[in-house]
Amino acid sequence: MVQVTRRHLLKGAAAAGAFAALPGPLVREARAQTTQKRELVVAQGGDISKFDPHFSTSSNDIRVSFNLFDNLLSRRPDGRLYPGLATEWKREGQTTWSFKLRPGVRWHTGDVFTSADVKWSLERTWDPKQNTRVNTVFTTIDRIETPDATNVVVHTKKPDPLLPARLAFYGGQIVPKKYLEAVGNDAFNARPVGTGPVRFVSWTKDDKVVLEANPDYWGGRIDADRVIFRSVPETAPRIAALLKGEVDVITQLPPDHGERVAGAGATQVVGALYAGLYVLAVNSKRPPLDNPLVKQALSLAVDRELIVKELWRGRGIVPSGPVAKGDNHYDPALPPLAYDPREARERLRKAGYKNEEIVIETTVGYTANDKPMSEAIQGMWREVGVNAKVEVVEYSVRAQKNRDRTFKGLWWSDPTSTLGDPDGMMWRLLGPGGPQDYWRHPRFDELGEAARFSVDEKFRGEAYREMTKVFLEHFPWIPVVQPYEDYGLQKYVEWTPNPNQQFEIRRFNFKFRRA
Amino acid sequence: MRGTLGFLAHRLLRALIALWLVSTVVFVVMRLSGDPVPLLLPPDAPRSEIFRVRTELGLDRPLPVQYATFLANVLRGDFGRSIHFREPAARVVLGYLPATFELGLAAFAFAVLVAVPIGVLSAARRNSLLDHAAMGVALVGQAAPTFFLGILFILLLSLKAGLLPTGGRGDWHHLVLPALTLGIFAMASIARLTRSAVLEVLRADFIRTARAKGLSERLVVAKHTLKNAAIPILTITGLQFGTLLGGAVVTETVFAWPGMGRLAIQSIYNRDYPVVQCTVFLSAVVFIAINFVIDLLYGLLDPRVRRA
Repeated sequence: MVQVTRRHLLKGAAAAGAFAALPGPLVREARAQTTQKRELVVAQGGDISKFDPHFSTSSNDIRVSFNLFDNLLSRRPDGRLYPGLATEWKREGQTTWSFKLRPGVRWHTGDVFTSADVKWSLERTWDPKQNTRVNTVFTTIDRIETPDATNVVVHTKKPDPLLPARLAFYGGQIVPKKYLEAVGNDAFNARPVGTGPVRFVSWTKDDKVVLEANPDYWGGRIDADRVIFRSVPETAPRIAALLKGEVDVITQLPPDHGERVAGAGATQVVGALYAGLYVLAVNSKRPPLDNPLVKQALSLAVDRELIVKELWRGRGIVPSGPVAKGDNHYDPALPPLAYDPREARERLRKAGYKNEEIVIETTVGYTANDKPMSEAIQGMWREVGVNAKVEVVEYSVRAQKNRDRTFKGLWWSDPTSTLGDPDGMMWRLLGPGGPQDYWRHPRFDELGEAARFSVDEKFRGEAYREMTKVFLEHFPWIPVVQPYEDYGLQKYVEWTPNPNQQFEIRRFNFKFRRA
Repeated sequence: MRGTLGFLAHRLLRALIALWLVSTVVFVVMRLSGDPVPLLLPPDAPRSEIFRVRTELGLDRPLPVQYATFLANVLRGDFGRSIHFREPAARVVLGYLPATFELGLAAFAFAVLVAVPIGVLSAARRNSLLDHAAMGVALVGQAAPTFFLGILFILLLSLKAGLLPTGGRGDWHHLVLPALTLGIFAMASIARLTRSAVLEVLRADFIRTARAKGLSERLVVAKHTLKNAAIPILTITGLQFGTLLGGAVVTETVFAWPGMGRLAIQSIYNRDYPVVQCTVFLSAVVFIAINFVIDLLYGLLDPRVRRA
């Protein structure tokens, strides 16, 4: 995902320090832990750029669009798929999926939602004339049939085990055919119409988005009359707004500020384990990184537990391999990646490492903790005799290098598991022609390709287990941490976040605590 | 009369050249700084998609052609379509203008209304306690980074004292902290310069004459000194307006103020060329216009300038 807004502009260590040092007790300390509020105010790190869900995948945008719109299926905080606009779905044969639509659903305009909207929405994503930003999501679909108003049949070109998962994430939001055809894309983006739990009221750029509850929502009316998304780019003022009670929820709460929010009396920290990993991706074409022994040594030399404890304040776990915890086919029996500096030295010796320079190209704040982690790892590598160097690059330079595949050595990547499955993560990124294609291995490639097009989950599980084994010998990524994504909440807000930044406000996961 | 017209024409020509230079520099710098397309597309977008978007945005054409089109369009007031927002850049930027204007004006008014009296008083009571205190505060105001001051104000006045909101735009309560943060640097430098300008005039012969005539000190300062000290004060005020525009970038970010400065920063990160070009151009127009007005005021205050 492109997440420009995740960089913390002007993130001043001085200011953060001053903030942490400020002594308690705060204005709101003794305030009640219940509320009579009918308005939910969410502050996030940047403004949205678009409402049209097919024209953006940035995290700030989808926090809003997943509430205006619905998907056929929905992935809930427990990581499983639940009915959305479709009440039932099943696979018939290898390449045919049928979906039964929820009856009686209406668009915010009052029009009835039908199978024609579904067909039109999905076809819109890849229509070259529409030119959407999600045109690669449904490349496996061959054609869509609508036998009647409440049934949809999707034919895929090859068996696609992950079609339901694709339908549950970005690109899969269903938009209104009739309204869009009548007003066009620009007017739709200015006054979006969906089926979701909230409907559009107004948008003041870089200030706030105002939404109101959809009283007839099929999933039940939400426990607020209005939902407001404010954009507060700086971390310290965002936290101040929460502590002062101006907002109810803040996103992107850095781990080193968690204690402050948790200890303030009226506020709390709620997190979800990130659906993905923070890894050092490796340019395995560059000597000495083409030598698996060197990469094994680099992995063994990283004290991940220390990183989690010191830099993440315990808000993360040590990965066991390339599959994120919570994903399909995650192997709970696999031990966390080992720290063994002596063995690292030994493998460097065996590899015949000749003190070649190994460079980490890091951004500052593209992912949380990227620069501090780079410096810590540089130190750990130097301990075992690696000539490690950290170079700082600007975000757009990183994007360019990513596109041209010209990284010098290692760089930070935060692969998101978009489908809750290894296919949507390691195979999407590390596969042939993928954005991080710097390393090829015949067996890995064969299994990845076969698992992508197999609907036999047992076979897929075995394939990913074997791919993990290959991965742990060659380390095309050096996984470092699977962090929690934390939010700051007023104590009177009960809300469960999703692991994949799909910020949802629904009846089942959000409630104001009333007196 | 002819002198005045010539003076005006000369200034106008210089303003136009400055605008052309500014837009050219921005054009070149933005192109040097990188490609917007990788930022627009997901990291796994195929190469063909990247080329398609480049063509769609006209980025595949040679630079001189892009430059010529750019200049021709600017002359017609067309800054192109925003890559990020997908609507005319000028419309995007104008949408942000009122917020910045409100903040800038409040900060400027605060700076001038506080700085000039303080500077004059400090000069009139040179080496008094008031002088030392005022100049000490001014020194801090000039030295402290806007970012730091902003966060400090939020922590102390908003969070601890609970007086004012932490950010966002709304009624006048929302305006106080950002205007204070933004205006303080300009305030400090205007106050310091006012003080030295007034001190310099106070040493002049005609002031000694005025005093010798038996005029009260108050009258000496108010009537004979201020008008003569006005030129350097006006100059620094005009220049400080520029730093206000620059400072707005940081202030708006800290206070989540939906203004042009924040738009500019975001657009630079997004490599949204048309919007960056339009914001910089508009800022340059404002800056040049303010200085143009100040030039005119010079002429009013001191007829000798018109002939220079």
